[in-house]
Formats: sequence, structure tokens, C-alpha cells
Amino acid sequence: MIVLWIVLAVVVILVVWLVFAYNKLVRLRNEAEQGYSSIDIQLKRRADLIPNLVETVKAYATHERGVFEDVAAARTKMLSAGSVGEAAGAERQMRGALGRLFAVAEAYPELRASENFRALQEELSDTEDKIAAARRYYNNVVQRYNTSQQTFPTNLMAGALGFRPREFFELDDEGDRAPVAVDLSKP
Amino acid sequence: MTLQEQIRANRRRTAVVFLGFAVLILAFVAIIGGAYSPGLAGVLGIFMIGYGLISYYASGRIIAAVSHAKPVTKQDQPRVYRLLENVAIAAGLPQTPDLYLIDDSSPNAFAAGRDPKHAYVAVTSGLLALMDDRELEGVLAHEVGHIRNRDVKLMSIAAVLVGAIALAADMLMRITIFGGSDSREGGLGALGVAAGLIAAVLAPIGASLLQMSLSRRREYLADAAAVEFTGDAEGLALALATLRDDHQPLKHVTRATAHLYIESPLRDHKGLRSSLGGMFDTHPPLEDRIATLEKIGGFTLPAAAPAAQG
Repeated sequence: MIVLWIVLAVVVILVVWLVFAYNKLVRLRNEAEQGYSSIDIQLKRRADLIPNLVETVKAYATHERGVFEDVAAARTKMLSAGSVGEAAGAERQMRGALGRLFAVAEAYPELRASENFRALQEELSDTEDKIAAARRYYNNVVQRYNTSQQTFPTNLMAGALGFRPREFFELDDEGDRAPVAVDLSKP
Repeated sequence: MTLQEQIRANRRRTAVVFLGFAVLILAFVAIIGGAYSPGLAGVLGIFMIGYGLISYYASGRIIAAVSHAKPVTKQDQPRVYRLLENVAIAAGLPQTPDLYLIDDSSPNAFAAGRDPKHAYVAVTSGLLALMDDRELEGVLAHEVGHIRNRDVKLMSIAAVLVGAIALAADMLMRITIFGGSDSREGGLGALGVAAGLIAAVLAPIGASLLQMSLSRRREYLADAAAVEFTGDAEGLALALATLRDDHQPLKHVTRATAHLYIESPLRDHKGLRSSLGGMFDTHPPLEDRIATLEKIGGFTLPAAAPAAQG
């Protein structure tokens, strides 16, 4: 009789634990999903700025076709990116192309003085800050999500229930502000 | 303590604060009713219950009114609004909190509201004038940290309720001292006077202790959250150093709203502080917070200028 009770108690504990661990993983997965869509919104917002920017620069710098093509290629790649890795790759390419575009713009004082160009430049740098912010959130969540999948005892069931580690949105070419591990238990 | 535990603890504490408030009201009403007039006690009781309800739903607006904080738009303040948007994205908030501006040259900031969808961050014009983007981002991240950690509801309600208790204690004091001297009932008994005076003295002390217990640890947690959002512990530490080195008093602040701010706006009230060894401080010392950030970020700020001690 007593053995039966012990078995029953163990089963109940296991089920309760499973429910909590499962719900936690689902919550983190949703947060990661939401974090990625927040990056996506900013990437799209920037992609929308680019045709306008290219037109503005073209009006002054007519002979710089190579740069415009680079930017257009990066934009197409970004809009068609299907995975986190591809999007991050497109983002790296975009940064390079935009860097060259602004370097070219330096050589045209009239362009730099143009109201329109300045407004676009400001808008673009704001979008870039927001991409960085969204990436930090996403990477923080992914770190928590992946860690909780890999730590015992959750690792015993995470894979079986279809949870897979997610890819970080990484731009390795920058001296980036990496996620900082913050321990909330210390004052 | 994980974030979820912290959020759950905040919910529990909100319930405790409300319960504590209800007990204080009951005691207050009983004293008035017993010593003075049951009719007045009833009116006051209803008034206080109404006040409790209002404080739950409108604490943010009440605090804005008390602190002279006015809502501003992105067009009015593009620089700080953009930084706030960035920090809110990095925190994963469902939307950017509203931005309020306090016209005051003393640098300070606070966050208030009910939940992440009904919250705002208020900054003083002095903060905007004194800080560069990096420091400002640190301050905003700290405030957004309070919103993300679900501190704002508890802290906002506590502010409004502590204000109410101060008001009630004041009223009680007046009634016990002046009440009845020219009234038809013929005044209070000695026992009533004594009870009223004791309650009038104890209630604000209890309220302060409650307020203090809510806020000190939360400042460290919000600092940690800010670093998580910006990845820049040094930026926040520089901002705190800027706050430390500024000694202008804030104009529209009361004991009840003090714990909301990123740095205690009452820090120049030295008498109380030194006599009680910081027991009633609503905030941990800035030096300790900077030291914690230095540990997290692995950097060292230059030591405070001698003039900054204070």
C-alpha cells in the first residue's frame, strides 16, 4: 500500500514539474519569436528608407553605380532572408554597402547640405539604433531559452517535446555590446 | 531571484500594501468614531475606500499632477523620445511608455503607472540639459527596468497611499488638538486625545517604513535590468555619478513620492539621515550603486571630486 502511495506521489511530482518546465519553455519560445519579429519590423523599416536614400544620393552623385548596386543587392537579400542566419548575413552586407554609400556622399558637399539627405541620414541612424536594441532583446531571450533547454533536468524532455536551440542574431564584425550576464540575486 | 519570481513577489507585495492600508484606515476610522463622531467616521471611511480605488487606477495621473510632470510628444523632445523607444525595444515592452517632462533644473527621473501598457517615464528638463545620450540612455533604461520588473504599480500605489496616510494623520492631529473645543458635544475624552496623538505620530512612521522596504532593493534590480537592456554598465554609472555631483533640490516632491525617483530627491535633508544612519532612506547610497555597476561592467570610474561629497 505504502509503495503505491510513494509511486503515486512521484508521478504527481513529475507531472507538475513537466507542466511547469514545458510552460516555461513555451513562454521563452514565444518571447524569442516576438523578439525576432521586433528585429524584423526595424529591418523592414530601414529597407523602406533605402530606395529614397539611393534616389537622393543619385541626384548628386551620378557616377557611383557600383555602390547603388551593392545597396540594392543587400536590400533584396534582406527582404528575402528566411532564417536568422540569413537575415544576419544580409544585415552585415547592408552595413558594408551603406558605409560605402555614405563614404561616397562625403565627396559631394551639396548632397551633404541637402535637407532631405540629412533627414534620411538621421532616420537611418535611428533605425540602426533600434535594430541594435531589438537584437539585444532577442539575443538575451535566446540565451535564456537555450540555457533552460540545456540545463538538467529540463534537457531530458526539451528535445523530445520539439524544443530546439535558436540561433543568435550575430554580427561578428563589430566591437559589439554583447549581452551582459546579470545576476539578479546579488544586491 | 529570476525575473518571474521578482514579478510574482511584486504582486504579493501589492496585496500586502493594500491590506496594510486597509488596516490603517480601519484603525483611523475607529479612533475618530470612538473619540469624536460616528457620522464623521462613516464619511471618512467611505472617502478613504474611494481613495484606495482611485489610487489603484489613477495613481500614475495623481503622481504626475503632484510632481508637475506634463506629457510630451516625440516632436517636442525627439532626442529623449528616441532613446526611450530604443530602450523599450531592448526591454521587449509591448509599447513605448509615454514620456513626461518636469520643468525643473534638478536632474532626476521616475517611472509610474499600472502595467507596461499604462506606464510613463518622467524626466526633468535639468536631466536633459546635464546628460549626454549615453548617460540619458542609462537613466531611461533604469526607469524602463522598473516598468519591466513590474515595480511601477506597487511603487505608484504606495506613493498615493503614503500621501493619503500623511493627510489622514494630519487631519487626526488637528481634530485631536483643536476639535471639540468649541463644539456642542463638549470635546474629547483624555483617552481619545491620547489615542489620536499616538496614531497621528505612528501612522506616517509606519508608512515610511513600508515605503522604504519597497524601494531600496528595487533600485539595484532596476540598475541590473538597465545594464541588461543597454549592455552599457558604465553609461549608467556615469549618469549616477552626474546625479551624485548635482545638489540642486527638486521643487515639487513630497515624502510620499520620493521613492519613485532614480535618486532620492530628498538627499539634502541631512538631519534625519545622519541621526538615523540612513534607516529611513528610500534609496541605497549612490556610491554603492556605482560600485555594483563597476563590478558588473569591470571598469572603474574616477573617484568623486572632493566637492561632491555630500
